[in-house]
Amino acid sequence: MFEDVLAFAALPLAAAIVFTGIHTWFGLQVLRRNVVFADLALAQISALGATVAVVAGHAVQSIAGYAYALIFTAVGALLLTGSRGFARSGRQEAFIGVLYVVATASTVLVVDRSPQGAEHVKKMLVGGILSVTADELVKFIALYGAIGAFHWLIRRPLLAAADNPDSGTRQIAFWDLLFYLSFGVVVTSSVGTAGVLLVFCFLIVPALVGSLFSSRIGMALVIGWLAGTAASAAGIFGSFLLDAPTGAVTVVAFAAVLVIAGAVRAFITAPAKERCRNRQLGFRVGGLLFCFVLGLSGTWVVIAPAGDHPLLAAIEMATGFGPERFMTSRERADYLEAGLIEHRHKGEIDRLYDRERLSRWQGDELAPDEVRRIGSMQQTLTEMGRGERFVMDYLRTRGRERERWYVGLPLATFGFIGAAAIAWRTRRAR
Amino acid sequence: MPCATLACIVATFIASSAALAQKLRVVATTSDLASLAEAVTGDLARVETIIPPSADPEAFEPRPSDLARLKGASVVVRVGLGYDHWLDKLLSLHGDAAVNRRGAGYVDASFGIPLLEVKGSSVDPANRDGHAHGLANPHYWLDPVNAEIITGGIAEAGIRAAPEMAEKIIANRDGFLVWLKARLTEWEQLLAPHRAAPLIAYHNTWPYFARRFRLNIVDVIENKAGVTPSPARLAKLAATIREQKIRVIMHEPFEPEEASQLLARRTGAVVVTLAPSIGSVPAATDYPTLFDYNVGTLARALSAASN
Repeated sequence: MFEDVLAFAALPLAAAIVFTGIHTWFGLQVLRRNVVFADLALAQISALGATVAVVAGHAVQSIAGYAYALIFTAVGALLLTGSRGFARSGRQEAFIGVLYVVATASTVLVVDRSPQGAEHVKKMLVGGILSVTADELVKFIALYGAIGAFHWLIRRPLLAAADNPDSGTRQIAFWDLLFYLSFGVVVTSSVGTAGVLLVFCFLIVPALVGSLFSSRIGMALVIGWLAGTAASAAGIFGSFLLDAPTGAVTVVAFAAVLVIAGAVRAFITAPAKERCRNRQLGFRVGGLLFCFVLGLSGTWVVIAPAGDHPLLAAIEMATGFGPERFMTSRERADYLEAGLIEHRHKGEIDRLYDRERLSRWQGDELAPDEVRRIGSMQQTLTEMGRGERFVMDYLRTRGRERERWYVGLPLATFGFIGAAAIAWRTRRAR
Repeated sequence: MPCATLACIVATFIASSAALAQKLRVVATTSDLASLAEAVTGDLARVETIIPPSADPEAFEPRPSDLARLKGASVVVRVGLGYDHWLDKLLSLHGDAAVNRRGAGYVDASFGIPLLEVKGSSVDPANRDGHAHGLANPHYWLDPVNAEIITGGIAEAGIRAAPEMAEKIIANRDGFLVWLKARLTEWEQLLAPHRAAPLIAYHNTWPYFARRFRLNIVDVIENKAGVTPSPARLAKLAATIREQKIRVIMHEPFEPEEASQLLARRTGAVVVTLAPSIGSVPAATDYPTLFDYNVGTLARALSAASN
């Protein structure tokens, strides 16, 4: 099993590091150009091309499928280059947003012609980085290595074009087109494996982290690579530990790395004066938020003890101090009994399920009436279990009705007094 | 003169057949139920399907044209058990009482089926088989024996809608069931050498099929519908495949194949694409060929794996 875990993790992690390598560079340029959503627009235009290929009868991974995606992306690159004209009026992001929604809507319309389109759209969104093969990885390294080397050679005019958003010369337009075309090739290749969401993270988060700590592109690139690698490793190994889908966990890991990097920048590496101000601001805003949440949660317990109380439930779980403590002895006995009965019903349902499942291939086949009897018992036991859960919910509400005065009211009082005190101190400090 | 009489008889026969054919219009939610409805009604009815062939029925969203399709239908046949839950909305918009619930032309084909993996009548998101809604596993048409119950419901509704066709409908159904029984014996013989063969499926589509053909589906890759399996789950499945010497992974055409292929590469098992419904693969053109394809493909894969 451990070997499997390593084998399943090694290639995706290597692919994530390769993606981080190229996308951080593009991300830094995207941030300089102030066109953050250009990636989403290009990725979606590329996905539209791949979808048209699928409807035309080509596999996404085939040469024809790749060619379709690439042609569409090239058109997208031309449109994005043309959008430079909007930069002066500050409407370039709006134009890119329009490109994105039109590409998405067109994908939906094209998918409507394909019976398996919904699955294709989902795949384009979330990707499948876990299943990347060694051959694909070699192709990525070769392609991204070549594009990276090419960009290294032309880095000066590219960065000059990125730093002059208001310039409308033909020379700038040429470098912009070259940038968007190579960006399109990278995005087209990455989206098929990592999906639109994860590619956006590879592109923006490491670049953002890098630019938080340095305005020099070389240093920002190195920091971005380190942050992207750490986020990828946390996402992929985190998905093993949490038993959750890799793509989604990796996106959350990237967000966590961004938050941590922001905190490190604000509270540790900022200049002394700024750091002191950030710490004060952090404590005040954090304290205010914490107190407000406590106050609102406590008030909600007082107003609606039968409602959902996630914060109270977390406190109860952590302290073991739950609503059953506020029940009468009779209510507590009924509460515990209902829990036991529900547990017994679940056990019986599982036993019946196993019996029927084993009979599919072991011993004599169960007669249809016997299968019906098992089904009927499973249904009855499930409903009876729900009945017991209803009893438990009712008794828990009774407990909470008393608990609200002992826990909800102090929580609300503490929260709001704390928030008022912090607000008062902030005002005095000014 | 005899020619004229013959022509008159033929014309009368054609006219009456056309009149009869126009009398019954059956709309089924899936291609499988449509095929069984065709077997029962023969040339007495026009049978239409709402979900297009090869589409994933569990991800289907109806369109305005489907509402138009329901207009004028004499019989509506559905899978039930929450599988085609969107039909309720269409039927309520449609408004024809005869094909709405408790109407003479309404057929919930799951009625009377010995259901597997029954949970309860209300929604429980924490169910174990990957189906987000419904009372039990809904893939019951994948047991050919259940065709007797399904066709029974369709025949009853057809007779209620057109009592004058009763004799023909009963004869059609009886003939189909006799023929299907003979084919079932052939299919069972094909898979008999592989009794209790351990298998992995991507989605929990096959419990009825497994029960009929005595197969052991040890686990499913996708334990929550539409959610990609986690790497921890894949590692656990890889260990199970090795421990239980599982040689075949059952896959469906519209499912994402990355996880199945990854497991196959890691364990040496073979991914076999089976048809959960008619039209899912080109070879499955009607109800009998659905089983010809699935049984034949699986038997070949299991034989190749055991050699």
